[in-house]
Amino acid sequence: MIIINFIVNLNQLFQIKYTINLPCFTDNHAMSIELVLILTLVALFTGMLGIAILPERFRAAWVIFIVLLNSILTAIPSVSAFGGHTQSGSFFLSHFPGIEIKIAIDKLSAWFILIINFTSVNGILFGRGYLKSYKHLTTNLDLHWIFYMLFHISMVWVCMIDHGIVFLVAWELMSISSLFLVIFEYQNRETLKAGLNYMVQMHLSVVFLSAGILWIYAESGSFSLAALSTIDTHGNGIWIIILLFIGFAIKAGFLPFHTWLPHAHPAAPSHVSGVMSGVIVKLGIYGIFRIIAGINHNWLIIGEILLSISVISALYGIMNAAVKYDFKRALAFCTVENIGIIGMAMGLGLIGIGLENPGLIFLGFSGALLHVLNHSLFKSLLFFGAGSVYQQTHTRNIEKLGGLINYMPVTAVLFLIGALSIGGLPPFNGFVSEFLIYNGLVSGMLSVKGISDIILLVLSTIGLVLVGGISILTFTKMFGVIFLGNSRSEFRHKPVESSFSMLLPQFLIVTVMLSIGLFPKFYLALVSQIVSDSCPGPLLPAHAVVYPSYEVLSSIGRVSAIFIILIGVVILFKYTVTKKRAVKTCETWGCGYVKPVAKAQYTGRSFARTFGNLMGTVIKEKKNYQRIEQSQVYPEVRSFSTSYFDIIEKYLVMPLVRRFNHVLNYFQFVQNGKIQSYVIYGLFFILIIFMGSLLNFIH
Amino acid sequence: MLSFSIIITVSIFFMGIVVRTKSLASGRKGPGVMQPIKDIIRLLRKGAVFSTTTSYIFRIAPSIYLASILMAILMLPHGNLPGFISFGGDFVMFAYILGMGKFMMIIASLDTGSSFEGMGASREALFSMLIEPAFFIVMGSLALFTGHTSFYDIFSTLHFGSHISYLIGTLAAFVLVFVAMIENSRMPVDDPKTHLELTMIHEVMVLDNSGFDLGMILYATPLKFVMYGTLIANFFIGELPLQWSIPVFFIIQFVFAVTIGIIESFSARFRMSHNPQFIFILTSVSLLIFFGVLLVLGKFI
Repeated sequence: MIIINFIVNLNQLFQIKYTINLPCFTDNHAMSIELVLILTLVALFTGMLGIAILPERFRAAWVIFIVLLNSILTAIPSVSAFGGHTQSGSFFLSHFPGIEIKIAIDKLSAWFILIINFTSVNGILFGRGYLKSYKHLTTNLDLHWIFYMLFHISMVWVCMIDHGIVFLVAWELMSISSLFLVIFEYQNRETLKAGLNYMVQMHLSVVFLSAGILWIYAESGSFSLAALSTIDTHGNGIWIIILLFIGFAIKAGFLPFHTWLPHAHPAAPSHVSGVMSGVIVKLGIYGIFRIIAGINHNWLIIGEILLSISVISALYGIMNAAVKYDFKRALAFCTVENIGIIGMAMGLGLIGIGLENPGLIFLGFSGALLHVLNHSLFKSLLFFGAGSVYQQTHTRNIEKLGGLINYMPVTAVLFLIGALSIGGLPPFNGFVSEFLIYNGLVSGMLSVKGISDIILLVLSTIGLVLVGGISILTFTKMFGVIFLGNSRSEFRHKPVESSFSMLLPQFLIVTVMLSIGLFPKFYLALVSQIVSDSCPGPLLPAHAVVYPSYEVLSSIGRVSAIFIILIGVVILFKYTVTKKRAVKTCETWGCGYVKPVAKAQYTGRSFARTFGNLMGTVIKEKKNYQRIEQSQVYPEVRSFSTSYFDIIEKYLVMPLVRRFNHVLNYFQFVQNGKIQSYVIYGLFFILIIFMGSLLNFIH
Repeated sequence: MLSFSIIITVSIFFMGIVVRTKSLASGRKGPGVMQPIKDIIRLLRKGAVFSTTTSYIFRIAPSIYLASILMAILMLPHGNLPGFISFGGDFVMFAYILGMGKFMMIIASLDTGSSFEGMGASREALFSMLIEPAFFIVMGSLALFTGHTSFYDIFSTLHFGSHISYLIGTLAAFVLVFVAMIENSRMPVDDPKTHLELTMIHEVMVLDNSGFDLGMILYATPLKFVMYGTLIANFFIGELPLQWSIPVFFIIQFVFAVTIGIIESFSARFRMSHNPQFIFILTSVSLLIFFGVLLVLGKFI
């Protein structure tokens, strides 16, 4: 039976193969996009085969090679998409719904593909060094390598494919492969739990997406996401947008759906968290960009809603990041913040479309796209730095760290650069995109009509300013407590600087970051092409839009350059003046105490405590301790611990999950562990489908 | 550059005037106007003591702090003359460049591994975060009022319309005076003359700095005051020709310094836990400016 089935399947596969419209080389392009897709598949399978064949010590290098190969393969059409036309092609599968599977790389996809490639290559370069200490876990490592290749290429596929069902397949491949990357240390219960949490939430996202895509098909008869624009979003069509938005928002981590991030990121190995936070959440943003392109009504109100959700996400994310002790968890919350900032920019762009204000459209969308790039850079840099720290100290609790700048000077500088740019401080890249968003907010204020819109924009400005301020608080705390001062606990072994192979990707990232900070004009030119290419609604010619912001951005680059020079001049001046002066070293001033202890240092908790108390309604602290009873006369060993928890998870998500569990318990008999009954379920299902089509319920 | 040079000139006398006002108010004769700058010069000529715990962050931070303030000052216009660099939305960059300096000072104080300096750092981070919205709302309202987004355009077109702009300028000046006080950790929120580390903000952050570095940090205070004073002066200078605008600028700075001296003499420091409330009051005053602007523009529909 099984064999027959297999043969039938093979036969079908064969048929499909024959109907594939093989890439035609008569086209002007050097390499057609279908060929690229097939080649990536081939490279992927070769890569997997290589893991099986090659001896252990070559496997990491092999994976780097494959990821690099796939990156170059997919970068070529992306770059030429930027050069001119959209690269598109299609496969024809006769037995597949929709028959034609379109694949296309337009400028928007190209932008995301290039970001994915850069971050993934950096991730694997870092990961090779990072995973060296897990050499003994051969099985884990092999699985990790295989899924990393799949993870990278499936993300690229997500950006290439323009066919709902295949898109969902690629989306699912991406989610599952990243799940396996997250649960690298699956022997650890906590990690497994975080992985399950991640898996469940990702599948919720798929449920919403499938519903949305099928609805589009039902309305328009096409599986393309672009078909959304043919559906009137005035009436029922708005629900499609809501469904798709929720699906993508779960991936991106907008506010009520962010709860997977703070669990998955600390559990995953650092390079995986870097890549996940850097790009996988951005694919949610990519999806939202695609939906936005299909909206044809109600831009203003959708923009206002998106802006409001995003401001709240940003504030909530950074407030929680400020008080966390686990630095990777804090970085995860910080991702929520940055997704919020990106969402704010997109909301502004939508408001711009609603107001028919090309300047605002441009500022909003280009700010969002540029922040996508910026965040992928500095967040992966910070996660890599955090990974180096974790590798050397084996703790993620900042209260046990300190003084690492003496042991790991290069990592410290790189982390500091990441911290400065994530706080949006010039001369680094984070400022460029935040500046565009600020400009968008102000120009929105100048152009909106109603009082409510103006107030919304002012509140958003206050939100963004506060986010900037709190992120300074968060990252001074994180950098100061991890790297500066004295170490707060004994390290098992003396931390040493990471190897060059781990530092190299960080240097690459910093180079790109500085280039954005100093030459923002170049990147804006790229982004402006995307905006004028794939922006919906009425848009004026691109050059008229771009001009004023262009000049402004080159001024930013100039100011940043002058600022760097000025800093150099001041330092040089100080150096030449004080060169010959007497310099004494002595203990830190301790109010007269001459024997300071490291434990007396200001801790991360105390640094953020005033802030935590001030924001007490949002940031709740849980204290674990036993009260002293009156009968307890004699002293005994006691423990006291505090932690901040996520109120949305505790008061919104968990109660909902419990309710669901309660209901679903009644259906537990379905999962009884007997294969026979599962076969019967399958039979029932087929029967239902059969009866349905027989009785004309299903067409 | 004219703006930059007169700001530097004023900054030399500024603290002297503040100190003189304070001593006169408390019935003393007080030191000469040049005394604070002489102190700073003396510090600049001294050697330095560094803590053994500190790293190079501690040594470069004061330079970056001073550079950030100088850079911010370079962006300020003087009435009709634009600053060294002027572009749409430059007030955002102005605030963020100052933020860069602040960031470095905060981590420098954490670098000492002291049990007090982190306290100051934490408060500095918190209060400067809380005060930032006030500045942005004031600048945003003025941008809304004039329809421009750069310092130069805002200030040079502020008084083209009705004279209500002077009222808005006065309210904005009120906000900026207190922003300057808070940014410099002066009286209502912090007492620079206090003797207990536990109650300080800015002073406790720089406990370990000495010599040239301390000189730079101390000089940053008058620079920052004059920087905010310049913004205040710009609310009123507007389109005045240079022969009028420069004396007006000096007078406004003088009045600003005297005001600071008077505020410092006749007010007590708040309890640390009351500071956020005070800062929120400033934010609400700036919101008042914003609604005033909306009213003037007839946007209340």
